[in-house]
Amino acid sequence: MSTDQLAGRPTRRPRPSSPAAGTRGRPAGGRLSLRQRRAGAFYLFAGPWLLGFLALTAYPLGYALWLSFTNSDGLSPHVSFVGLANYREVFTDPDTMASLGRTGLFTAITVPLSIIGGLLLAVLVNQPIRARGLFRTLLYLPAVVPPVGAALTFKLIFDRDSGAVNGFLDLLHINGVPWLVDPYARWVLVALTMWAVGNVMIISLAGLQDIPKELHEAARVDGASPWQSFTRITLPLLSPVIFFQVVTGIIGALQSFAPLLIAINPTPAGVTSVPESNYFYMIDVFAQYFANGRYGYASAMLWVLFLVIILITFLLFRLSRGAVFYSVEPESAQTKRRTIGGA
Amino acid sequence: MDPVVRSAAAVRPAPAYVPHERPISMPMSTTTSLDRRRFLAVSAGAALSASALSGCAASVSDDGDSGGKSGAKTTLTVMSQANELDPKTIKAAEQALGVKISLITYDATKLNAMLAAHNPPDLVRGSGALETPYFAARGLMTELDSYFEKSSVLDPSDLDPVNDLWRFDGKQQGAGPRYGMAKDYSQDAMFWYRTDLFDAAGLDRPSDTEPLTYDEWFDLGKKLAKHRRGKVKVYGLNATGLGNFAMFLNMTASGGGSLFAEDLASVDFSSPEARNALKWYLEYARADIGPNAANPNPDGWDWPTYQAGRMAMACDGYWFGGAIGGDAKKAEVSRFAPAPQMAGGTRISPCFGATGYWIPKEAKHKDAAWKFFEWYFGGRPAKDRASSGWGIPTLKSLRPQMPQNTTFQKQAFKVQEQELPYFSVLTVTPYVQTTALDAVINKVLPGAIKSSTSPGKVADQLNAQMNELIAKGKELVG
Repeated sequence: MSTDQLAGRPTRRPRPSSPAAGTRGRPAGGRLSLRQRRAGAFYLFAGPWLLGFLALTAYPLGYALWLSFTNSDGLSPHVSFVGLANYREVFTDPDTMASLGRTGLFTAITVPLSIIGGLLLAVLVNQPIRARGLFRTLLYLPAVVPPVGAALTFKLIFDRDSGAVNGFLDLLHINGVPWLVDPYARWVLVALTMWAVGNVMIISLAGLQDIPKELHEAARVDGASPWQSFTRITLPLLSPVIFFQVVTGIIGALQSFAPLLIAINPTPAGVTSVPESNYFYMIDVFAQYFANGRYGYASAMLWVLFLVIILITFLLFRLSRGAVFYSVEPESAQTKRRTIGGA
Repeated sequence: MDPVVRSAAAVRPAPAYVPHERPISMPMSTTTSLDRRRFLAVSAGAALSASALSGCAASVSDDGDSGGKSGAKTTLTVMSQANELDPKTIKAAEQALGVKISLITYDATKLNAMLAAHNPPDLVRGSGALETPYFAARGLMTELDSYFEKSSVLDPSDLDPVNDLWRFDGKQQGAGPRYGMAKDYSQDAMFWYRTDLFDAAGLDRPSDTEPLTYDEWFDLGKKLAKHRRGKVKVYGLNATGLGNFAMFLNMTASGGGSLFAEDLASVDFSSPEARNALKWYLEYARADIGPNAANPNPDGWDWPTYQAGRMAMACDGYWFGGAIGGDAKKAEVSRFAPAPQMAGGTRISPCFGATGYWIPKEAKHKDAAWKFFEWYFGGRPAKDRASSGWGIPTLKSLRPQMPQNTTFQKQAFKVQEQELPYFSVLTVTPYVQTTALDAVINKVLPGAIKSSTSPGKVADQLNAQMNELIAKGKELVG
């Protein structure tokens, strides 16, 4: 980035229009120009990442795209091209559509709950109270537990016959219920998701602490109630953080996999033991890949999910224009305004 | 596919959030900046060059080793379970064979991925009974006949017939080339029971010689199960020790039918024999007297539940005696029984596992893998396994070494010997893995168990879904 760009000034470099102009940036004696040296340094530093991206992201994505047009099972010698058949099947298979619907419902429930819950906790632990740090740590702790570990813990706690929850109910002479099967399993999953809400809390807390105190003090002097202060100052200034949480939360929820394994042993056939209400899209993808050996179809499912996520993210950005208030304008907006203003 | 996914709450950390008005202009000296960048670039280049050089140096050294000039060893990659190939066994193998062994923990998903990537392990643990047709039909296994012919350790005439489950001629299991060998085996529809729980319930113990009918077994299970406040305190029985599909395969065959069509290209759960099996299973699951598709055992296998006194009868083969034998108190109250039979059918007692090893066709060190084969199946480990009680040895010559010291071991050995004549082979399809068929069962049965779905309707669902999968698999095998 040039100093012009760093200063926020649009850069205007003369394009080489003649051989003389073309050699202007290259010192005599075969030495590299500033621009070339910068480019060299960029590629040198970015090279490892670029190699990793090509080998570990671009190639697998491309390979999965190719697979999605075949009937491959990954192992058989007679693989053939099936065109869009796999994609047609994704949209016409009632099981796949049902799993997508369940995933969407789960997302619609857990993302708002997580964000509201996390924000409320953040507001609470942002108060000047004794042992505030301890509360913050305790609330954040579950978010540090790896998803598979958390799922296994919940499996033990909610097991019908030997779990702690039914053991506790037994002490109260209340009949236990099979928590890990339908219709209860979905609520255990929601509870597991909310248990890790400390992650959302910590981001909201960081956002809250960036809001200048003077604004709240001024509002109080002007007679605003705490609720008015929260809705008119806190929420608008926190809107970029909330928007970030909405976008990443939706993407994460649509890709949910590990927490769903709370009831079963994650073997290829075992994955299909997931209770129907928790049989989400990614579980179906895993089952198609590794239980059914349908690499082509599963790859098509993943590409459909990828496109759905891209579409939702695009729509969210469009819808957020009037609802998200940035105290720092995106650079592109500044540049655009300056260009229009003739700066 | 990348299975690393996050829950809704597990969001990424926030980007740098700058709450103040404007980006700060930083006047910088181009020269200074350039010098620093040049310095960094040169440093990075030097560092990369250094690491590349050291990498070259290392690889030169490795190459020299692998050439064998400095006595370096072949690394044999084995995919197995850590409890079957523990560090002590690995060390013994390395000393005996002069190779280095790299253990990959068995994982069906990982194995499929490695095979798909044409980078398989040199040796793979597997189930001869359920996997041989599938992998052999796809040309993924090495034919071992020429190795057996040359072997001075593994004599084909000494091989127990169970090893024929590792043969496949393109159409039929049990014939054609050998693709693997079982390390030990059991007749997996047999069951173990706890005499203390039988005595407490005032029930007669099952016969050592005459099989129960499935209906009698179910009745015993109902009498032995104990419920309390919506929980099962003691399971009467677990009928599905080695997977639901294998169980249906056996029950149908025991009733005199067959789940697979003759060409192995379709299943039929609608036959009277298969429907009887489905009916029995639905009643068993609805009675809630044992782990089932709607309420799976959270332990994943029977031993912890059985050991805790929470399971009266466990449908597991002779191998389960290895676990029981390790706990003297449980061994004292445990006994073995013949495989139950469907009423009016024929007496059979199949093996669903025949667990052993195979060498992938694209393995890099086949000869070294075969040396491991000979050592593991015919050497010290085979003798140790034979006397451990964790399965029946697969070399006839090792059969006398099966444990018969305690009352428990004597009874188990006697019952096992009496069961051997009823050993039978239940062929599976080469077109899909049985995990796929199990997956369909896991998907269809829970709903059927909870609702009042009839066995006929369940059969239709299973037929439709399984046959679709088999047809797709058949296209690929040709």
